Amino acid sequence: MGERWRSAIPSVLSVLLALGVCWGAIALTRDAEVAAEAYLQMLYGGLGQWPRYLETGDVGTLTRPLGEAAIKAALLLLTGLSVAVAFKAGLFNIGAQGQMLLGALVAALVGAHMSLPSALHVPLALLAAAAAGAVWALIAAALKLLRGVHEVITTIMLNWVAVSLVDNWLAVGPLRAAVSGGHSISGTAEIHPSAHLPRLLGDLSRLNLGFLLALLVALLVWVGLFRTRRGFETRAAGLGAEAARTAGIPVKQRTAEAMGLAGALAGLAGALLVLGTEFRYPGSLGAPYGFDGIAIALIGNSHPLGVTLSALFFGILRAGGTRMQLLGVHKSFPELIQGLALLFVAGRLVWLTLLRKRRAVPASTEVPRA
Amino acid sequence: MLELLEALLFSTLDAAPALVFAALGGVLSERAGVVNVGLEGQMRVGAFCAAVAALSMPTPLAVGVGMLAGAGLATVHGYLSIRWRSDQVVSGMAINLVALAGGTFLLEALYSPNGTPPIQQLPRWDLPGLGAVPVLRALSNHPGLTYLALALPFLFHALLHHTPVGLRLRAVGEKPHAVATLGLSVAGLRWGAVVGGGMLAGLGGAVLSTAVLDRFEQHTPAGLGFMALAAVVFGRWTPLGAFAAAAFFSFGNALRIGLASSAPGLLDVIPQGFLLALPYLLTLILLTVQGQRSSAPAALGTPYEQESR
Repeated sequence: MGERWRSAIPSVLSVLLALGVCWGAIALTRDAEVAAEAYLQMLYGGLGQWPRYLETGDVGTLTRPLGEAAIKAALLLLTGLSVAVAFKAGLFNIGAQGQMLLGALVAALVGAHMSLPSALHVPLALLAAAAAGAVWALIAAALKLLRGVHEVITTIMLNWVAVSLVDNWLAVGPLRAAVSGGHSISGTAEIHPSAHLPRLLGDLSRLNLGFLLALLVALLVWVGLFRTRRGFETRAAGLGAEAARTAGIPVKQRTAEAMGLAGALAGLAGALLVLGTEFRYPGSLGAPYGFDGIAIALIGNSHPLGVTLSALFFGILRAGGTRMQLLGVHKSFPELIQGLALLFVAGRLVWLTLLRKRRAVPASTEVPRA
Repeated sequence: MLELLEALLFSTLDAAPALVFAALGGVLSERAGVVNVGLEGQMRVGAFCAAVAALSMPTPLAVGVGMLAGAGLATVHGYLSIRWRSDQVVSGMAINLVALAGGTFLLEALYSPNGTPPIQQLPRWDLPGLGAVPVLRALSNHPGLTYLALALPFLFHALLHHTPVGLRLRAVGEKPHAVATLGLSVAGLRWGAVVGGGMLAGLGGAVLSTAVLDRFEQHTPAGLGFMALAAVVFGRWTPLGAFAAAAFFSFGNALRIGLASSAPGLLDVIPQGFLLALPYLLTLILLTVQGQRSSAPAALGTPYEQESR
């Protein structure tokens, strides 16, 4: 087991501890039986109802939950990658939410107001969404590089600007869909079928091309960061700007590129939401996927592989969370697990110290006694 | 016209204290060098615990419970970021996520998904002699905490800039090594600032659930903690600056609500969403103009290690 795998230990322990604490929380507020049943339902909801399937042979009992988990995981993966890429360049992107929001809006506009063959329409909508997210992120990059304003502050501000302008104005005002058939709908007009992301299993589940796309993007990000010179330079700039600059690396340029890429990834997440499942910009984006991305990225140790695993895991929990409602446990429960896991990951140094102490004990017994 | 002004002043004075307290909490923590993006979470537990406590005790006492809850959550932040030198932004965001999800879970488990049962609101004080004066009338009939929010920034200013403790607090945010050289405890000073900041943020949250509303609702504090953070930066990390920024944001909000009710036609010209975005846009523009390095505490966000230089 190499050093690289050992660095994943704090994350795994954090997730396990979070699962344990949350189990205890249900057991205390309800009872232990409900807690066990809730976790079982969460697994069924995320990985398929295997008992039902074996009993009835209905494939839908497997594909529907798995599809939902994959959809959730794809969104978490992209926003997680967004935060992770920025992190590798030494930036803290708290603005994935705002970038995703703009990506979603632009994808909805391109999807609804252009008529193209599907082979062009989908890529165009994806690209436009990525570009929109990138532009929003580059505002923060520009302010950091030109005016020295910390990106944590600017991205938080840009989030609220995006939410205020889009959710409280554009989506309910000028861009709101025209009222049709007497009942008004919230959000922008529905996108054309040619802009839908193709479903992979037809009517068996909502699983769509977006999931594969997200996995492919994760692979590309890994290659880009760890197998190219540019990626090496970006990581070097993130580890120490001064040293990187001395080594002749154009730090400002790499920083700006990383932030642009981070925004593009978050924008892409918005596009997946709109083109894959919502088919319009809804009245409001709803869940704080961008903030989830922070947790996913940090639990995944900001490594593309770790982020992928963490996104898949929490995608399963998230999809399963809706099933817990059958037992009267709130559907936001997986978010509590995620939040606690992040809190424990934040204490990475605590874990490492504890682990070192445990390893130090057997080592000390080998000391020859005089 | 005078009536409109009076109404605006009144609703600003009602809404501002939550933001003022949280922003002062942010100033306290950040002047000592610890970034506090967890203000939102600290406000949330403050608001929640105060509302829950007020179900079984007098509301003023419950406000104290809210303050303790905010301080408790800040202790987690302090433990991770001071004791274990964790990344302060990570720790702060983690606190926010836990407070958001945990609050939602507990609210549902103990009461209802929408909010706690109604509680007794904080009593409002009638200032004698103001009842008949136009405009100034708006100063009367607020809970005591409103008047505290008007006075505290000045007390804070005096504390930070004119007392030895204030000097040490500021120094620990600028040059912690110099403070350590004097034989003072960097960790101790930072702990005090973080826990005190959490207490103030908890108080800000408690104001929301005990004075602005009469219960804790699912979406309390709805981003006010982040707005407080903006007020800290907008106010250049000074108590009076943050106070002015918080008051300005609250006035903007009161103006938006006031306009919506008194002159609905105006909202066709200026969209509501644009008015909502205005404080954040202004903060961004101001930051663009002035740059940030000039005013942020020098050691902000860097964990203190005795061996490092």
